Amino acid sequence: MSGGGWGRGLRHARLQRILAVAAIGAAVALPVVLVSVGGGVSSHELHALQTSGYQLVVSAPGNHGVEDAHNLTRAILAIGGVAQASPVLSIAVDAFDAGGNVSPVLAEGIVPAAFTATLGPTDGSLFPTPLPLGDPNDTTHFANGTYRGSATDDVVVSIPFAHEFHVKVGGTLRLAADDNLSAAVPFLVTATFGPPITFLEPAAAYALLLPLSDLQTLSGYASGPGTIVPDAADSIEVAVAPSIADDAGALAAVAAAISALVPSYSVSTLSQEVSALESASAVLTGFYLALSSVGIAVGVIFLALVLLRRVETDRRSIGIRRALGVPGRSVAAGIVADGALLAVGGATAGVIGGVTLVLGLARWATAEVQEAAQLATFPPVLLGEIVAAIVLLSLAASAVAVRAALRVQIVEALR
Amino acid sequence: MNGNGVPAIVLAQVDRTYGGSGPEAVHALRGATVSIAPGEFVSVEGPSGCGKTTLLNLLGLLDAPTAGSLSWDGVPVGQRSDRERARMRLERVGFIFQRFYLLPTLTARENVELPMQARGVPRATRRDRARALLAEVGLSGRERAYPHQLSGGEEQRVAIARALANGPGLLLADEPTGELDSTNTRAILDLLIRVRAERSATLVLVTHNPTVAARARRHLTMQDGRIVGDVREA
Repeated sequence: MSGGGWGRGLRHARLQRILAVAAIGAAVALPVVLVSVGGGVSSHELHALQTSGYQLVVSAPGNHGVEDAHNLTRAILAIGGVAQASPVLSIAVDAFDAGGNVSPVLAEGIVPAAFTATLGPTDGSLFPTPLPLGDPNDTTHFANGTYRGSATDDVVVSIPFAHEFHVKVGGTLRLAADDNLSAAVPFLVTATFGPPITFLEPAAAYALLLPLSDLQTLSGYASGPGTIVPDAADSIEVAVAPSIADDAGALAAVAAAISALVPSYSVSTLSQEVSALESASAVLTGFYLALSSVGIAVGVIFLALVLLRRVETDRRSIGIRRALGVPGRSVAAGIVADGALLAVGGATAGVIGGVTLVLGLARWATAEVQEAAQLATFPPVLLGEIVAAIVLLSLAASAVAVRAALRVQIVEALR
Repeated sequence: MNGNGVPAIVLAQVDRTYGGSGPEAVHALRGATVSIAPGEFVSVEGPSGCGKTTLLNLLGLLDAPTAGSLSWDGVPVGQRSDRERARMRLERVGFIFQRFYLLPTLTARENVELPMQARGVPRATRRDRARALLAEVGLSGRERAYPHQLSGGEEQRVAIARALANGPGLLLADEPTGELDSTNTRAILDLLIRVRAERSATLVLVTHNPTVAARARRHLTMQDGRIVGDVREA
């Protein structure tokens, strides 16, 4: 064989190998991204649930479906064993900066004292105590459902949002239900909350905390003509007395008492929520892996084709080796080793690519994706299992090529 | 088998047909009957397409007869498994091809090491032996050259060194000088005859070059797949 021909053959073979590694890498990167981000979000939610300061959650069907939230909260507080009840309403509003630029942001309406009392130790450290939102029990503005009392118009902003939106404590932030600056209400920024900005700045937990009644009137979920749901909330988080917090029977009794107040609402214990979330997380992980299996199958088929092509191009070399008496198992071992090497290379590239992609998403993607990507976890065992699975599948791909290699007729290969 | 592992080979009424039994069948070998004793130097002569290479492939267990019997040391080769025949090739046969058939991605030394590696010879031992064999065929200092960096004569020397790697008793050379000039032809032939003599090996050499064939002590002549002449020199 001439030097030029040999060189061209080598380059061609190298290109095939690079493409095989790239195909497997792309196939592996997908589950790495899906599982790491999905798992990270799930474990974050689980951690939040497991470290929260409440044990029961009252929710209702529909959008912001808890009605008459202030009075229902009072009624729940009157039940024996209940220590605190905190209604929460989460709604996206528009925030305007000093220049009039608008940005959608998620706001939570809360009753400050109740909210603080139902925070767990982890979350509690992220907020100033007491929350500087003027009316601790949100009674003045609410005014027994009339909303005629004076609003505090105070807001507490997350540190990442303050950083991103150039908002300072003592400054003014204008908020509106929609993209209408003339309808925006000025709020006084009284404090910031949340974790400090990490190396992945800016973090995307763009959140505002303001009194429940303020958010209700701002978004049209207060009582009165034209409101969508009167005195609305998404849920009411209920903390029981510490003496019964770990007593499943007592918790069930409290839940039953709440259900008696609002039979059509759902009252779930936190352990049920955790269990449901764990189940959903397991289902999602399975779904992600099933979805990824399509890409992995394509990658492995591509690997099999590359190995088959190699057998075809190395037909003469295989014939020479067999003619010299090299055992078939040695020829097979060479192909299997080559397949495994390509698979390990591709899987490693896929893991690195997937992790890099997640880090990139955490830095440069849209706010929602950033938030999810920042929560991503990369469990080494799972990543190792993905690589191991790819290597095992490469053995199946190699088997096809091995079969072809062992069927090479020596005399024909040497012609 | 004699004491040096040199096989006694007997072909009896051997046919080799390619392409099935229909009208398109090619009868490469018809009723070939010949015995080759250990240590003989046999040339196989005849025009192109007369079945010389097919005969050599059968002798070296690269191929199997479609009829008749082939035995080594009195044992029919048809009774051997593929694995056993591969092992016999590895340990007892040295092939030298017209087109050398060196592996292009291996150096000269690595090509020579290949049969020893397949036999499980320790790395250091096979490296030393490969160096010695390359020196024996006159290629000292060329151990690290790749086949495309060698001349035709040098490539064939490497192929001879490779054929000798496991100390075989049977050397099969298919037109070993067919692609070489006259100077290299003489040198390669001298080399083959010398190593055969030193090892008391059997050498079966296919050629249609009368000058080359003249160096053998026994001459098989083939025509249309048949052995039509078998002459031993006194």
